[in-house]
Amino acid sequence: MMVDVRLENVVKEFDGVQAVKGIDLHIKHGELFTLLGPSGCGKTTTLRMIAGLDYPTSGKIYFDDQEVTYLPSYERGAVLVFQNYALWPHMTVFDNVAYGLKLKKLPKEEIRKKVEWALELVKLKGFKDRYPTQLSGGQQQRVAIARALVVEPKVLLLDEPLSNLDAKLRLEMRSEIRRIQRELGITVIYVTHDQEEAMAISDRIAVMNMGTVEQVGTPRDIYERPNSEFVASFMGKTNVVPAKVVERNGNTVTVEFESFRLEGLHYEGDKDDVVLVIRPERIKLHPVENAVSIQGIVDLVEYYGFFTEVVGLFGETRIIARTISDREVQELKPTQPVTFYMEREDIIVLPKQL
Amino acid sequence: MKVSRWSERLFGTPLPDGVVMTSFLFPLLYLVGFLVIPVFVMLATAFEYNGQLSAHWFSSIFRSPYYFNPLHPDGYLVKTLIYGGEEVYHFYGWDFGVVINSILVSISVMILTTILGTVFAFIMARYDFPGKNIMRVLLFIPLLVTPFVNVIVVKKMFLPDGIINWIFYEHLHLFPKPIWIDGLVGVIIAQTITYYPIVYLNAYASFINIDPSLEEQAENLGSRGFHLFRTVTFPLALPGIMSGAILVGIFSLEDLAAPIVFQGSPIAKKLMSYQIYSSFVSGFAIGNPQMAALSLVMLFLAVVMFLAVRWYVGLRQYAMLSKGGRWNPRVAKPKWWQALLIAFVAVPVLLITVFPQIGVLLLAFSKSWYGTWPTGFTLDNIKAIVTQPDIERVIINSLMYSTAAVVIIILLSLASSYASNRFKNAKLAPVIDSLATIPIAVPGIVIAMSYFFFFSTVPPFKGSSLDPTNLLEFFPGAALILAYSIRRLPFAARSISAGLQQVHVSLEEAAMNLGAGRWKALMSVIIPMIYLNLFGGAMLSFVYCMSETSVGITLGSINSTWYPITAKMKELIIGAVGSANLAAALGVFLMAVQITAIVIANVITKQRYSFIGLT
Repeated sequence: MMVDVRLENVVKEFDGVQAVKGIDLHIKHGELFTLLGPSGCGKTTTLRMIAGLDYPTSGKIYFDDQEVTYLPSYERGAVLVFQNYALWPHMTVFDNVAYGLKLKKLPKEEIRKKVEWALELVKLKGFKDRYPTQLSGGQQQRVAIARALVVEPKVLLLDEPLSNLDAKLRLEMRSEIRRIQRELGITVIYVTHDQEEAMAISDRIAVMNMGTVEQVGTPRDIYERPNSEFVASFMGKTNVVPAKVVERNGNTVTVEFESFRLEGLHYEGDKDDVVLVIRPERIKLHPVENAVSIQGIVDLVEYYGFFTEVVGLFGETRIIARTISDREVQELKPTQPVTFYMEREDIIVLPKQL
Repeated sequence: MKVSRWSERLFGTPLPDGVVMTSFLFPLLYLVGFLVIPVFVMLATAFEYNGQLSAHWFSSIFRSPYYFNPLHPDGYLVKTLIYGGEEVYHFYGWDFGVVINSILVSISVMILTTILGTVFAFIMARYDFPGKNIMRVLLFIPLLVTPFVNVIVVKKMFLPDGIINWIFYEHLHLFPKPIWIDGLVGVIIAQTITYYPIVYLNAYASFINIDPSLEEQAENLGSRGFHLFRTVTFPLALPGIMSGAILVGIFSLEDLAAPIVFQGSPIAKKLMSYQIYSSFVSGFAIGNPQMAALSLVMLFLAVVMFLAVRWYVGLRQYAMLSKGGRWNPRVAKPKWWQALLIAFVAVPVLLITVFPQIGVLLLAFSKSWYGTWPTGFTLDNIKAIVTQPDIERVIINSLMYSTAAVVIIILLSLASSYASNRFKNAKLAPVIDSLATIPIAVPGIVIAMSYFFFFSTVPPFKGSSLDPTNLLEFFPGAALILAYSIRRLPFAARSISAGLQQVHVSLEEAAMNLGAGRWKALMSVIIPMIYLNLFGGAMLSFVYCMSETSVGITLGSINSTWYPITAKMKELIIGAVGSANLAAALGVFLMAVQITAIVIANVITKQRYSFIGLT
């Protein structure tokens, strides 16, 4: 029953303003695919269009080879778990979960079995006669998931499912969702604004910004090979250093920033105004073979427990290095000279965004 | 797949189904058909003279000193007269012509009700004193609608030998001479007593809803006492007070009970509502385009007031914005001088305003009432409700009309709230919303007048049983049900719309997403969640329909077989001596209906429903 979901040049306008600006996506069978982006980037709108709760202004949506762009939600089988769970307060847990099955006019006994199966799957056996208001946030969340799963959806859609839970519960539900997805092998499209959550849970991620898809890839791709300044800075703490290309040799370039000159970096763009994206944890304070190095002074040392961040001042530019909290690092004091070492492949050169 | 762009624009969804179309089109067509078009037919009549487009009928109004006399008013506000061999102060009123009189009465009533309503609201919201709960109950009593008869009692109270003089002149010697309140002043006093609880309710809700931290911050910065009230409390409550005051202004403009009861003094007839009403009664003036023009002047004033307050309140939707923190109501013990004011000013005023409803009871249980107190206890009037065929008849009629109207109102409210709440992007949504609200601003007498023109001139109604000029076949019930359903719609719609807003749209989307069609989602999710609001709305509108006056005593009083209660009451009070007691019995019956409905609604829905005294 699982399907491939394809979006072709999907545009959604609200009052003449484009919330989604022509996106293409291909979500594969049995994949946990995440739409990640800041609020207002169009990720929830995209999800709602897949669910059939909003319709695109133009463009097409396919489930396998069937076009479903304007198929009403109730004929589509793309079941959404709402951010606020949307449990019906006037129905018991059982009735909430059984709702979709009753609509399919299944025999009573079968409904009962399926509901019990679903409640067991989300570890809520024994809660079927409660009302939603008698459940905790995490339990409500599970009921919402059970209600969606029990109808055997073609694709399961999750809209910020963890955002209303406290931190501890969030971790628990996260692995729970992953477990259920693996167990059932279903296609899941997951929406979140939390990059850490996205990386932990997803097979692939689409990073969205201002109604467009910036990059699609595995969590590792996206973290280590961001294709834009936006993606780089959205995916966790990173250094973004403005620089200028001064020499090119095919895709190998030399760039300058402040008084430093870094040679042999990889760059495929043609603009000379670039940024260097360097993850703090890839910067070393000890000499490394084949690395480029820059000399500056210590501006700040921030102790976070098992790691420490050293903010170095290089001319006017601040660069953060993150390192294990060993004794040497603890001894660094502001204004002391410091050298940062970086391997060339860890310095990502991207065209500067306006 | 068929996708419709125009549907997305009009209905907010590219795939309209039967439920969506119905929820937009049913209220739209109903309100256009039975409110907008009738008013336009009347408009066309008013602007036609000798087959030409002309402002003749309007200029005839504004050139006639009878209607418009701003410079040389007749009459007097107060004068010493001899009454029964004794000198009395006779309060009467200046006569600036019908149009200006109506405006002045309306403004006076607005000012007086605002003062009374705000003061009572402030006392009830901010002070704690013994007997406060009794006072709270008493404040609801003036809201009980007893068309005409409560005004009769007000009139009796303020006669030279009435209760007011009995207390304040004879016993307390506070007046140098007896007072006699009559004419337009009588109308103003009667309307003030009837309508001030509307301002009270609005103002009370506003005072209660002010975030205490806003006032605490002001106190913290050094403001207190009247300065605090003037600079923070009152401005925050003002939008609510204004809404109440404007509602009162509109009700005053369209009120018929007070002018009809005070019609013994000629100046009380010189009000727009009375003039339009009398064209129905006199028969020969009915259908006079000048009356259509006068109705439009009245409608114009009411709509301007309504839009002005909507605009004003819309600008100042801030009173309830802040959140968080604790929310302890600011209630204090009154200081000694405040306690004195409450005991010796507020309480007596309250008792005076409660007396008309008590007076209705006294009237219903007495044989006659001349002079200060009624005389001759009897149960005959009350018994007549179940024994006298013509009284029984009007009660059954009213129950029938009201029930039918309530069914329509609930369907209309449900459809219109669903359309305008759930499809906010639809171009039609604000249209539906306005149409469902605007009847508040349309005086009943204007609806009656426009129905007269509409049903008597426009096919297929012309010559049908809806045509009031078709005397042999005219069935007022149909016209009354239409009028009731339109006039009372806004109140039920508001209750149901509030309920619908509580139901998050995702609850319905979840149902549709799991395979429920829109109808199924409506029936299995929305209706079960808002049935209490539906019920409350139904009770509210039922009571309002039962006490509807303006259309009842005009279109409804053409054929006595089909009288609603209010038409019978009007007939009784202007009829033979002693029949006012019978009217009072009907008033008692209406009060009983209202109290029952209020109690049922409050018990079942566990919400506070209160009525705002509509006639």
